[in-house]
Amino acid sequence: MTKKALFIDPGRCIGCQACVAACRECDSHPGKSMIHLDYPDPGNSTAAAPTVCMHCSDPVAPCAQVCPTDAIPIDEQGIVGSASEELCIGCGNCVHACPFGVPKLDLVEMLQSKCDMCYDRTSQGKLPMCASVCPTDALFFGTQAELMQKRPGVQAVDIFGFGDETVRTNNAMVAPAGKNLDRIPGGYSREPDSRE
Amino acid sequence: MNDQPLDYSILPPDPGGARPTWDPSAAAAGLIATAVLALAIYSGSANLLHFDAALVGYTLATLFLAFGATYRLVTWSRSPAARRYLSKSRKALLPRPLGDGTLTASAREVTSTVLLQRFIAKRSRPRWLAHQGLFWGVILATLITFPLTFGWIHFRAVPGTGSGYYVYMMGVRAAHLDALSLLGWLTFHALDLASLLILSGGAYFLWHRWSTRGNSLTQLGRDLMPLLALMAISVTGLALTVSSVFMEGAWYQPLAFVHMCTVVLTLVWIPFGKFFHTLQRPAMAGVGLHKELGVQKGGVAQCVRCGEPVEGTIFLDDLKQTMGELGLGFGDWVETCPSCKRLERGAAYRNHVKEGYR
Repeated sequence: MTKKALFIDPGRCIGCQACVAACRECDSHPGKSMIHLDYPDPGNSTAAAPTVCMHCSDPVAPCAQVCPTDAIPIDEQGIVGSASEELCIGCGNCVHACPFGVPKLDLVEMLQSKCDMCYDRTSQGKLPMCASVCPTDALFFGTQAELMQKRPGVQAVDIFGFGDETVRTNNAMVAPAGKNLDRIPGGYSREPDSRE
Repeated sequence: MNDQPLDYSILPPDPGGARPTWDPSAAAAGLIATAVLALAIYSGSANLLHFDAALVGYTLATLFLAFGATYRLVTWSRSPAARRYLSKSRKALLPRPLGDGTLTASAREVTSTVLLQRFIAKRSRPRWLAHQGLFWGVILATLITFPLTFGWIHFRAVPGTGSGYYVYMMGVRAAHLDALSLLGWLTFHALDLASLLILSGGAYFLWHRWSTRGNSLTQLGRDLMPLLALMAISVTGLALTVSSVFMEGAWYQPLAFVHMCTVVLTLVWIPFGKFFHTLQRPAMAGVGLHKELGVQKGGVAQCVRCGEPVEGTIFLDDLKQTMGELGLGFGDWVETCPSCKRLERGAAYRNHVKEGYR
């Protein structure tokens, strides 16, 4: 594999917040962290779940598709950027359409922002800020071959299931190698009718 | 995983980039807009009697602008999200029966978002001030130069006065002006004032681009070139005044040619790059008001997981329809707030992917 991507392994995340702090140092959004670090079961578990933009490739970036002003850029490599300042009207479509819950909306500035894989850095061959400081490789940036060389007991999965729908992404999640997975469950499995 | 080589480019992605496929009906709309403008120029200049042939380059560029901008507007408005919000924005801004406050609300929204651009002030006051300079400079220059170029406005000397002029609009004598009066001086130097407004705003943005490391890497090509284009127009325009006032017209002709080149290139460029936001944003000026009215009418939806407010019910219904039209089959997922989406995915990972992860 020659493609470089972020490989996310929540199982290795210790919730130290180093990625959150480092993200704030990125030149493209100084002072604002674009990464989400959630604690799924606080009080009962130390588990933590980092969320970066997965840069959806199929369907291509739902956030950009629902943007009424074409404000969200996608480059030739499929990297989905933050909304353009001159075009974003702060409507929030992208925030709610994203199946991963990634984009952030500043309601004062009426401006969306999101993880852009540290475009400034990765375009210069550097690691994204989060991956550069992660002490446990819960956020690993590199090729899949590099990941497998470092951690032979894992597999990378870049397909997510949301109900009957699947979303393919440029970044991937890490799963145990022996696990028979055709997709990573996205958390959305309920049928609309069952919620009534 | 898909096995595509990832070769990050330094060139930034271009938001709002033109749709790559040729659209014949959008081209037809563009041709109609061009024809209407050409007809308006012909009739407004008394069958080209008042049309200045020396300005034909500007006119041709403006005709191309009419085609390109209409083409882009039509293709842009085809996307489900844009089409829906263009319609909602227009409906929100349209005055309804007087006395219910919506006319005032519409006027306030347009003033705030289109004219004063208060959203920029909330991001940065210096940037807002600089943008206001650019905005009003361009508006002033546009209001003066387009009618002049089209022959819709022309001046005629008042015989025997030396400094007196009649101002004709669409062939009708509309005003009398003394070039030596304050009003006359302001009128004949309004483009200089516009240039100074643009240059002062542009100088700030130029400094800002240079001093912000992130911007200098990611927005150099896309942001800097339009800025330099506006500043080049202003500098060469001011140079014409300098030539005529202080240099007895020396270098006027070559300067006028260079000035025309900067204007023509910029006009032709408007539909394709950053300048297109000058049409997109005003077209969406009523979206904020639409959301506000939607919350008043339909209330706020609560997250199906945590019960916290998510967004206006009408807004979410709009979004679900948009997602349905786009073939995004997880439209009902919008009823879950972003935070709960992440937590649900985290729980699913713990339960189905890495069960030992506790």
